Amino acid sequence: MRVLIIEDDTETADYVLDGLRRNGHIADRASDGRDGLMSAAGGDYDVIVVDRMLPGVDGLAIVKMIRSAGVKSAVLFLTARGGIDDRVEGLEAGGDDYLTKPFAFSELLARLNALARRPPLAPIETVLRVADLEMDLIAHRVKRNGTDIDLQPREFKLLEYLLRNAGRVVTRTMLLERVWEFHFEPKTKIVETHISRLRAKVGSGGQQQLIHTIRGVGYVIRPPL
Amino acid sequence: MSFGLPYRLVRTASFGLALLYATLLAASAVILGFIVYWNVQASIDRQMAARIDAEIEILKGKLQSEGSAELVREVEERINYFGALEYFLADADGKRLAGSLSNIPVTDGWSDIPVPDAGHSKDPKYFRVETVHLDNGFWLVVGDDLGPKEDIRRAFLGALGWALLAFLVLTLTAGALLSSAFLRRVDAIGRTAEAIINGNLHSRVPLRGTNDNFDRLSATLNRMLDQIQLLMESLSQVSNDIAHALRTPLGRLRQKLEAARANSGANSKCTMTIDAALDETDNILDTFSALLRIAQIESGTRTAGFREIDLSKLFETVSEAFSAVAEDEGKILTAKIAPSVKFWGDGDLISEMLANLLDNAIRHTPQGAQIEVTLVNHGSQLVASVADNGPGVPQSERERIFRRFYRLERSIGTSGTGLGLSLVAAVAELHGMQFRASDNAPGLRMTLTFDSVAPGAPRRPRLPGRRAIEHDTPHAAHEIACQHPQRAEVGLQG
Repeated sequence: MRVLIIEDDTETADYVLDGLRRNGHIADRASDGRDGLMSAAGGDYDVIVVDRMLPGVDGLAIVKMIRSAGVKSAVLFLTARGGIDDRVEGLEAGGDDYLTKPFAFSELLARLNALARRPPLAPIETVLRVADLEMDLIAHRVKRNGTDIDLQPREFKLLEYLLRNAGRVVTRTMLLERVWEFHFEPKTKIVETHISRLRAKVGSGGQQQLIHTIRGVGYVIRPPL
Repeated sequence: MSFGLPYRLVRTASFGLALLYATLLAASAVILGFIVYWNVQASIDRQMAARIDAEIEILKGKLQSEGSAELVREVEERINYFGALEYFLADADGKRLAGSLSNIPVTDGWSDIPVPDAGHSKDPKYFRVETVHLDNGFWLVVGDDLGPKEDIRRAFLGALGWALLAFLVLTLTAGALLSSAFLRRVDAIGRTAEAIINGNLHSRVPLRGTNDNFDRLSATLNRMLDQIQLLMESLSQVSNDIAHALRTPLGRLRQKLEAARANSGANSKCTMTIDAALDETDNILDTFSALLRIAQIESGTRTAGFREIDLSKLFETVSEAFSAVAEDEGKILTAKIAPSVKFWGDGDLISEMLANLLDNAIRHTPQGAQIEVTLVNHGSQLVASVADNGPGVPQSERERIFRRFYRLERSIGTSGTGLGLSLVAAVAELHGMQFRASDNAPGLRMTLTFDSVAPGAPRRPRLPGRRAIEHDTPHAAHEIACQHPQRAEVGLQG
């Protein structure tokens, strides 16, 4: 994917650029708001990463301008502050996601992947599939190998999110935000607990496991290799 | 203990002072009054005596110059004068020659004698009389009515009494008025102090602009409060600045550790060490984030993000998320949540608050513990609580658990930043909720009490909306302590 990073802190920018390039992505950097605006409008980026606090033009203002210029790229805000109101403000300005600094690169990458693959006008999917696992979004039913799996509403939501991102790693934080709408870090292992329950239901009867743990990063659902 | 206003009024220094002045002034007025009274009385007595003496001298002169018969005639004539004195003249045998007095003393000199009143009253009138033995053997008695003197005495004492009464009433009323004005201003200072104790550091004593003693005292107090507020703000500013300033280098440290981990290749021992270092770094960053979050919440600016939220749904989501965790740890989490309760607030923060409470309950109770989340709708008031039947928190510690970084002795060494309950308290205060820790006999009960506010009606956090500690008997606290002596890893902190 093509990523633009608008970030004044060279160290953070280099860290992100380096990581993205190492993962085979194309990444450019703009070090201030004006440059950022030009590059964003000109380049055809999948995702734009914007620091909220920039010298010159504020990150929020940049995103508003990008959006009014008709740029369709997904936008992820980097926020450095206590970040309480930042999320709402960022989303209202036209951002798609946010991440609080400092962050783990794996977290950023997972979020960028999720954003980049989001097709702007995808046909509405009614059935999600991975291998022999099938989720019917209309009938609200999950089947594996033809057998119904009985899921709690929250487990259904969790599996749906995993399936929508099939093949891509989703982090704990992403799951907390999207499945439970928790925008904080609980000290208890909520995600782990629910994943292991879901796993037990989806992989019951000695069938091959589809939900995999990526150590230190998160989870991914994918067909057995 | 509280007393009524009259009691408080009487107890004020100004009223006491007014009372003291009133007493002193009344006493001196009474003394002055009596000195005047005595002088007036003595003067009346002297005048009366002088008049009687003069009368007697005149009559004596009459006797000497014109003889006994003329004396009798003179006395009879004088009786008829307007405002005349009283007379009695008798010969040597005591036979009455002129005058109307009776009960005549037979000895020479002054005496006061009662005379039956002609008809008005049964009480006798009193006369002061002087009796003299004349040269020709006659007895002459000249007297004057003591009635006018008595009238003056009565009038004087009456006037003195009324004056005193009026004086006392006036002074006490003035004292009371003065004191209530005084009380109002003292109360204003007291209210300000209460507000500050309750956490509203911006509160100040109102000034009246009169530049009187009270205004000057209030201004001095306000300056002192400004100074205290400045100190407190700079204190929290320092900790926030530290947190802020260290976040960037810590973030870079984290980036470098990650880079090192990516480069460590197959050296698994090295990778493990780097992972541990990353965990530590994340812990430090978590603490700083929590500190900054609390600071931001406490600043009260977050109310801008208030929306109408479905509190019941929020409580259900959070308790459902945690019930699975509790179950895995061998604990039972049950929820009794009133349906469709709407509330005006910040859903993210309230979720986090409830999550922190549940987190504590799960982490600091032994296996098999029961945890209950409730949301009760009392109409105008909502009560949310998280209760467990674990080891609880001794009463003496219950207030301290809200402090930043405070941890029970028994839970030092377990994970946690010690900031969880501070955050709960901050969120509760932002929403005008009263947050209390109490004994669940056994266990701990955290209660949030708050008004259900109509949607679209944002308002300032209520003051005082502070947490309170429920006091229970030392016996109950002792019981909790004895019921779980085997638990070492229990406690309460974020």
